[in-house]
Amino acid sequence: MSESPGKSSRGVALRLSLACDLTEVRPAILAVRGFLAEQGLAAKDLTKCELALAEACNNAINHAADGAKSKAIEIEVICNAAKVELRVNDHTPGFDWPQRVQLPDSESERGRGLYLIQSLMDSSLYFRGAGENSLWMCKNRPSQTGSLTLPPANLEELDRRLAESEQIISDMAEELSSCYESLSAIFRFSAEQGKSIGLENFSRRLLSDLLRITAADWFVLRLVPKEQSRLVVFTASEPGLDLEPLEVPHSAGLARPVEVRAALNRQDIWFDQQKALEGDDPLQRAKPDSLGLVHPFYFGDTLIGALTVGKTISRVPFSAAQTNVVHTFADFLAIQIVNARFQEERVNNLLVARDLQIAKNIQRSLLMKTVPQLPGFGLAGYCESARQVGGDFYDAVKLSDHALLLIIADVMGKGIPAAMFAAILRSLLRALPELTNQPSELLSRVNRLLFDELSEVDMFITAQLVYVDIRKRRLITASAGHCPLLLAVRGDAEVKMLSPEGMPLGILPDTPFTDETAELPRNCRVLLYTDGLTEARNARGDLFGQERLLEWLKETTTRPRKAEELKDELAAELAKFQANTSLKDDQTFLIMAE
Amino acid sequence: MKIKVQVLGDTLSIEGVKELSAANANSFRDQVRGALAERSKNIDVDLSQTIFLDSCGLGALISLHKTACTRNGTVRLLNPTAPVEQILELTRLHRVFEIVKK
Repeated sequence: MSESPGKSSRGVALRLSLACDLTEVRPAILAVRGFLAEQGLAAKDLTKCELALAEACNNAINHAADGAKSKAIEIEVICNAAKVELRVNDHTPGFDWPQRVQLPDSESERGRGLYLIQSLMDSSLYFRGAGENSLWMCKNRPSQTGSLTLPPANLEELDRRLAESEQIISDMAEELSSCYESLSAIFRFSAEQGKSIGLENFSRRLLSDLLRITAADWFVLRLVPKEQSRLVVFTASEPGLDLEPLEVPHSAGLARPVEVRAALNRQDIWFDQQKALEGDDPLQRAKPDSLGLVHPFYFGDTLIGALTVGKTISRVPFSAAQTNVVHTFADFLAIQIVNARFQEERVNNLLVARDLQIAKNIQRSLLMKTVPQLPGFGLAGYCESARQVGGDFYDAVKLSDHALLLIIADVMGKGIPAAMFAAILRSLLRALPELTNQPSELLSRVNRLLFDELSEVDMFITAQLVYVDIRKRRLITASAGHCPLLLAVRGDAEVKMLSPEGMPLGILPDTPFTDETAELPRNCRVLLYTDGLTEARNARGDLFGQERLLEWLKETTTRPRKAEELKDELAAELAKFQANTSLKDDQTFLIMAE
Repeated sequence: MKIKVQVLGDTLSIEGVKELSAANANSFRDQVRGALAERSKNIDVDLSQTIFLDSCGLGALISLHKTACTRNGTVRLLNPTAPVEQILELTRLHRVFEIVKK
């Protein structure tokens, strides 16, 4: 590098040359900076000239063909009271100088040099010649105050420094006040969170404050509802922005709404006149030609939502400080949302646990501690609840010293409602004693009484009633869509299955039920059960099945057994079959044996 | 170039960047990439002592940003000096990098 200061007709001049090598650039630029500082150039303009010149030199060196590397690059600086002129001459093939340089894509690692030169300088020109090119750049100096007679240099310098300091102080004040505003807004809202105002209200007010602080005009906050992959508008600055939900696919594509793209790329996306929203973007349709940014936010790897803040009136892009405020607010909001969801889940779990306990208590109260017996006939009942309490129950009502009404039912549904219906059904059946020897009539009556309530909550009940008269040695049974009654007799080749027609309760208001009568031969066994038995699965996934149940029942007739013993045997069979599995449905049966 | 590189949890912290220009941007980028530990996600670049940053320096930071993105992390620029912050705003890269002031 060589330099030669001098006096040009147009002002003070500095000329220097450097080898075509990137490491030469920085020392040369520092020399120019020193020279310009001596000329009293303001610090702000020094920085601009320094960078523009560096970009110009880097460009010249990077465009040099191998053959041209031996030729020096020349820098010429001319400075007077009105302006600074910088000229860089090189001996490269040169390049096409665009009229107006656009910023490259934000992901691009190159292509910002010319943009910086044009932005930093007041004017620039490029002369492309044969074997020599010249880039000329000019920076105007602030016009001198007062008359043409220059005040003493040190006073001028003081003025300039004062003006610069004022600018710095006003910038700092602006930033401080926006920091203060965001902090105080956050503190205010933290305090309000304790007062349990709704999350939606809270978000809207926080984001309205954000608009004020960042001088923006509108916002849309979308959240991903639990177990969904959609961005749904949670709150927005105006009703017109209550837009349709957006599906979030698994992978990023191209022509998608900007909010979805931001969420998938886990990155802010900015939009303005240069990088406008797509014509069919919901935000473009609702707020045409806005500028702004989309900020997606996450909890760990889980997408929580996306906040979009935009300006329609002002054309001034968000500053770094304002961008920071947007991020701070969005992150704060994300924490509040995640907290609120945890709370909700905890309360829900508590409610579910309470619900289950109540349902269990109801169900337990339905099951009799002692089952009525008839002379010569034993009766035993079994009911095993799955974890999610259902509405299975059995009942046996002693009608006389020789007659019984047996009931088995399965309420389709879970939790308290199912248990409640089971309790109601049991009470109704016991409240109509005049119909106990006509099970079909009893079922129609009960169906009419329960239909409205059941259909309102989309529930139904399967049930089977059996009137047993041991003096006449016969039974009468009717079914409301329930499993068949099994009747096994010693010596019979097949177990009898009684399955009189009838729809479950709660399906149709007026539906016929039929009675089926069967004899009770000596040493018979009667089994009533719910489908939790036949649909039980073992660890391999095989069904217990009706066949296995029939086989077991038939086999028991070969041995004299009391009802209580048979109950224990079947329970053991089931337990053996279901070893190492968890119960999926209630399992209930009622067995009678002579 | 001499920079101070530290691994702090999942963050690689870089300090002592005085100048980031065409002359050293590539070596800076390679040095930082080489220092990334297996669990490094985020890259914090302290710019409080950076008196000069040009478009090649910006290119190096963007390239590190992409590296961080592939690891699900980010590049944070800490306490940039006023001229550096102006350049970031001028080139709108404050939208890409998180700028942290303490």
